[in-house]
Amino acid sequence: MDEAAANGRRILVSGRVQGVGFRPFVYRIAHAHGLTGWVRNGAGRVIIEIAGAPEALAAFETVLIKEAPPLARPRIDLSEPASLGLFHGFEIRHSEGTEEPDIHLPPDLFCCAECVAELSDPSARRHRYPFTNCTQCGPRYTIIRALPYDRPATSMAGFPLCPDCAGEYSDPLDRRFHAQPLACPACGPRLSFVRAGAAEEHGEQALAAAVACLSAGGIVAVKGIGGYHLVCDARDEAAVARLRSRKHRPTKPFAVMIPQEGIDGLDAVRRFVSPDAAEAAAIADPARPIVLTAKRPGSGLAAGLAPGLAELGVFLPYSPLHHLLLGDFGAPIVATSGNISGEPVITDEDEAHRRLAQVADAFLDHDRPIVRPADDSVVRVIAGKARPIRIGRGVAPLEIELARPLAEPTLAVGGHMKGAIALGWGRRAVVSPHIGELDSPRSLAVFSQVAADLQALYAVEATRLVADVHPDYASTRWALSDGRPVTLVQHHVAHASAIAGENPDVARWLVFAWDGVGLGPDNELWGGEALLGAPGGFHRVGSIRQFRLVGGDKAGREPWRSAAGLMWEACHDWLPEAEGGAIARQAWEKRVRTLSTSSIGRLFDAAAALALGIERVSFEGEGPMRLEAMAEDTGGFVDLPIVEDGYGLLRLDWAPLLSPLTDPTLSPGGRAALFHESLARGLVRQALAVARHQAFDAVGLCGGVFQNRRLAERVAALFVAEGIAVHLPETVPANDGGLAFGQLIEAQARDARSL
Amino acid sequence: MTHGGGGRAMAQLISEIFAAAFDNPYLAQGNDMAVMPAATGRLVMSTDGYVISPLFFPGGDIGSLAVHGTINDVSMSGARALYLSASFIIEEGFPLADLKRIVQSMARASTEAGVPVVTGDTKVVERGKADGIFISTAGVGVLVDDLSISGDAIRPGDAVIISGSIGDHGVAILSKRENLDFETAIESDSAPLNGLVAAMVEAEPSIHCLRDPTRGGVAATLNELAHQSGVGFVLDEDALPIKPAVRGACELLGIDPLGIANEGKLLAFCPAEKAEALLRVMNAHPLGRDAAVIGQAVADDSRLVRLSTSFGSERVVEWLNGEQLPRIC
Ligand SMILES: [Fe+3]
Ligand SMILES: [Mg+2]
Ligand SMILES: [Zn+2]
Ligand SMILES: [Zn+2]
Repeated sequence: MDEAAANGRRILVSGRVQGVGFRPFVYRIAHAHGLTGWVRNGAGRVIIEIAGAPEALAAFETVLIKEAPPLARPRIDLSEPASLGLFHGFEIRHSEGTEEPDIHLPPDLFCCAECVAELSDPSARRHRYPFTNCTQCGPRYTIIRALPYDRPATSMAGFPLCPDCAGEYSDPLDRRFHAQPLACPACGPRLSFVRAGAAEEHGEQALAAAVACLSAGGIVAVKGIGGYHLVCDARDEAAVARLRSRKHRPTKPFAVMIPQEGIDGLDAVRRFVSPDAAEAAAIADPARPIVLTAKRPGSGLAAGLAPGLAELGVFLPYSPLHHLLLGDFGAPIVATSGNISGEPVITDEDEAHRRLAQVADAFLDHDRPIVRPADDSVVRVIAGKARPIRIGRGVAPLEIELARPLAEPTLAVGGHMKGAIALGWGRRAVVSPHIGELDSPRSLAVFSQVAADLQALYAVEATRLVADVHPDYASTRWALSDGRPVTLVQHHVAHASAIAGENPDVARWLVFAWDGVGLGPDNELWGGEALLGAPGGFHRVGSIRQFRLVGGDKAGREPWRSAAGLMWEACHDWLPEAEGGAIARQAWEKRVRTLSTSSIGRLFDAAAALALGIERVSFEGEGPMRLEAMAEDTGGFVDLPIVEDGYGLLRLDWAPLLSPLTDPTLSPGGRAALFHESLARGLVRQALAVARHQAFDAVGLCGGVFQNRRLAERVAALFVAEGIAVHLPETVPANDGGLAFGQLIEAQARDARSL
Repeated sequence: MTHGGGGRAMAQLISEIFAAAFDNPYLAQGNDMAVMPAATGRLVMSTDGYVISPLFFPGGDIGSLAVHGTINDVSMSGARALYLSASFIIEEGFPLADLKRIVQSMARASTEAGVPVVTGDTKVVERGKADGIFISTAGVGVLVDDLSISGDAIRPGDAVIISGSIGDHGVAILSKRENLDFETAIESDSAPLNGLVAAMVEAEPSIHCLRDPTRGGVAATLNELAHQSGVGFVLDEDALPIKPAVRGACELLGIDPLGIANEGKLLAFCPAEKAEALLRVMNAHPLGRDAAVIGQAVADDSRLVRLSTSFGSERVVEWLNGEQLPRIC
């Protein structure tokens, strides 16, 4: 390159730069800095050739990264001096036909600051318009029917642009240039409010009626971005109780949406909960997830929002409709998924009116169709980082770059609970939003739709499937009846491979996959496993002492069964108070319908039953969550023996926990603290015992149990003290929501091994 | 009971037991076959093998079960069951007293159902070659009317009717086999359904399908029929007749009552507008007292069997093979 002749620069930008308004952004900043040249998409990257004064070029490059659209994650791969021809201004060029552009399906974006500001600007054309959006913001995944992402291929197809909107759409300097869901009060979707026995209201009247209904303690089903929310006043104990009884959801926590106030938007949030810095950043993230944060005593929120728990899931409004609703209502609202327990969130008006009729007093609808559901994302800060509990709206479809290319396009179908799908091809993997428990017909229908849609939208036809080895998972049955070849992956191997896939630099792992239950190759129910190796070659080196459970899946809802299983296994002559306890004992002794397990999830359930007297729960994981919430800051611990079994497995023995868990001289909070501390120390000692004979580079902690912040942080701290590297899931959930990604990684590794 | 040397004496003993228990002119002919008058109409025939542990259970035994099961299979075509045959494989050393009890129970069941065992056979096999006793029965019936009752005849909109409580047999067998003392004794529902079916088809010849939900229970039967007829089913959980004791036992052991065997129940599928009349006829019969409409057939390309609850949730009723493995992770 002849430096002297260089009058400009050639810049290659990769990362998340497509579908997030990046090229119009480049256009605008080029104009702002008086630069000429062009920008276009090419092979997954954005290519820029730009000419002008050197200072302006330098400023351009800084702004390119620093002021990028909220959801863009640009990375400059190359920036080199170039001698360029003369340009007339700056233009956005079409991608060249020879290069196949990578398809990117953007997630649903929040309502950006500029659009929020317009909502309250009486002079703006979209003042108080609930469906305003621009290239930086608005719905995407939930409105796209087909790619390329153009308006006619979205659920906005039925809303032809008015002349004003058409002008904005075609003006490269406008922040609505090529914003596909662009709309205004003249041409866009509108609100309607429906209440039995009353006339339907529209627009401002609809919004006012919804606010009035909320103020009167009513429950309103509100159609949002990825589906319906059930909404009520979060300060109104009676309204919350009503919602619980109508939704048949006695204790499972409700998320609370809090108005966006103040400079960082979190003033109101801080009045109701106490987020630390990482949690505050997560709440303010453009993905607008639900973030678990410490409750603030005396905040005025209803006690029934998250009974028995120390944390509350909170989030900020993310659509213009939510901003208006919360602004007008002026207080936090419960915003829980409008669904029937475990099913995907409802998206369709008719279905909502039919199936939520017994729950909602009224419906705040709009006429922009939702093509496929996306539930709210949920994160929890653990060990200083926001970690996904549920991947959904604003995050999904989640793109993950693979370290190596896949041998063939592969669709991994995940587990049975917290269903989610992962599609992989080349070096790309895409994880679907959370679908739900796959027990219901609607979950199955959405599961099939999402599997088909992901392949159609990315123009990738999977040539093989990956599923769990459990024969009764609906996902496994679906895969086996599909006709394409199926690779079966053991549950905990998939969990372990997920964390390995997030950290491809680690060569040899010791992964603790701790969860509820997954079927092991020995037909036992695994759930407290230590796996050594790497994807394609994990083998079990440790577990916990097995115990037997009566009643199969009932144990997940009835912690007394786990408690009984432990007590009886340890030869305690213990009679549960629960009805049927005596017959359960007979069945246990005679091994009728009992299954042997090494599940830590069930061990937690047992501890919740023994330490807190929780016999039955209304959702899976309630016992462990309450145990964590109840634990006092400090507690003693007991040493759990590690016993080598006949197969060389190092088994952690829980038996010494039983007497402190039932010790009447200890407080429930002290018992809970002791349980956590003993288990954390036991895990680390188990790892050290493995390390005596076998080498590994890092420890991984995965499975739903590691959503327990107290346990995860304590284990991580103990490993750090031992000088051992430790990883927690960061990209995909630790729970079964991350299983599909792990299945993909494991299948890929097996391919590589067989090459 | 021994076989080999002394076999003749044994054969003698066995035939005496049978002769004493069964008394009808066809058997009395003393041949290796029965000669019977020809029936007018279409003939229906069915056969089944009975292998069960325990052999004796509350509400029945392998003998009565072998009679009821085959009569019921014949009856599910809408036919009138006419004759049965029975074949016994008996393990050497099987107690004669038990054999006597089984044979007598079988004879009683056959008499009560009005369907005679007209021919039979016994074999004694070496110890270890059989598990106590196996019984095979075959049944012949006649379809006199112009009925077309069949597993592929269910249409969307049809009502799904069950003739009575669900799961009694499976739970009775389990509690007896494992010797679990549930507070309330649970009896098998083993019963011959020929009388009930006769009353039903006489009143409502428009019935599309009849099926006895035996092995795999209502869940397996409906899944099978969904595929056979190309429909889906929606069941109403609140409408399912389940005895409290059966429900309690299932909850305790983590079993789905829809997935366990019945031996004296039938599922009937008929046009919705006929359901009420059919139900009245069924309720008037002793074996259909608790009959209830539990759901309906629907158009569904995915052939799902759905269960809906009173608060609007729906779950897929699956055809689970064997033990139900937990899935909660
Ligand atoms: Fe799991
Ligand atoms: Mg049969
Ligand atoms: Zn915007
Ligand atoms: Zn417009």
